[in-house]
Amino acid sequence: MKPLSLLLVVLISCGAANVALDAQQPPSQPQEEFIPIDQLPPQDQLPAAPLLVVAYSFVVLALFAYLVSVARRLANVQRELERLEGDVKRGGGA
Amino acid sequence: MPNWFTPLAVVCALMFATAPILIANAPYESTMGLVQKIFYVHLPSAWMFLLAAIICGIASARFLFRGDLRQDRVAWAAAELAVLFGAITLVTGPLWARKAWGVWWQWDVRLTSSLMGWMVAVAYMLLRKYGGAGSDKLAAGLALFGMANVPFVYISVNYWRTIHPLTTVVPTLPTSFGLPLWFTVATFLLVFVLLLRMRVRLEEQRARVDALYLSMDS
Repeated sequence: MKPLSLLLVVLISCGAANVALDAQQPPSQPQEEFIPIDQLPPQDQLPAAPLLVVAYSFVVLALFAYLVSVARRLANVQRELERLEGDVKRGGGA
Repeated sequence: MPNWFTPLAVVCALMFATAPILIANAPYESTMGLVQKIFYVHLPSAWMFLLAAIICGIASARFLFRGDLRQDRVAWAAAELAVLFGAITLVTGPLWARKAWGVWWQWDVRLTSSLMGWMVAVAYMLLRKYGGAGSDKLAAGLALFGMANVPFVYISVNYWRTIHPLTTVVPTLPTSFGLPLWFTVATFLLVFVLLLRMRVRLEEQRARVDALYLSMDS
């Protein structure tokens, strides 16, 4: 058997074993009532501040990056245009 | 650049600097708390995304039926802005949703149709960049499809079952929430107008460069 096929068989076997083990676990206790977020254990609470910071940072960075990108492309085209106009003038004068 | 560009850019910069102060002073929403403040950038960017798709579609229709090359430049510029503001919308939305809904993404009609509209704008850009000769008209057709998607994105939340807030939320906002929102919308609109003008200018200059190369060859 080729090594790749062997690896595939091993991975599939491990996956099947996991499924079998999961099936043997007793079902978790269902939550019976609403729990306010501030009464949840700390590992289950999701802080809002990092999400807010990421959102605002992304907006500012995306707009700034696009502005810089357009300004650079505009400057490059402007330079090329001036060079070409110079060439045309020199060509016309000769 | 036209005469109005620099004064408008100064006003826009001042508004961009003032907006965070208004947003910081806005009250906390009772159920979502701090994360609701993402709304002040998510909604304006979503509106600019839809506006860009509409401008791209109208300009593309004019280019297709009248052959007006200036409209083609406007369409290309607007498509790029649709990609930019669409990306902002599609990044800020899931950041809000993770806290408010408990999931990053939901395949509901508003989110899916927005993603589809953004992918149409990306497809337009790819077609223009790598499509070769004749891709301008094919891309214009694609832009019409992108514009047709806009009303669907907007009204979808009112007709399908979704966890996304309805369109009726904005008109019913109290002043303490509405003032920073409309200020941010105005700021984003100014940013949009300025970026669109810059981007159209870039296409105009590229057209002049192409014309010069052609005149040198002939």
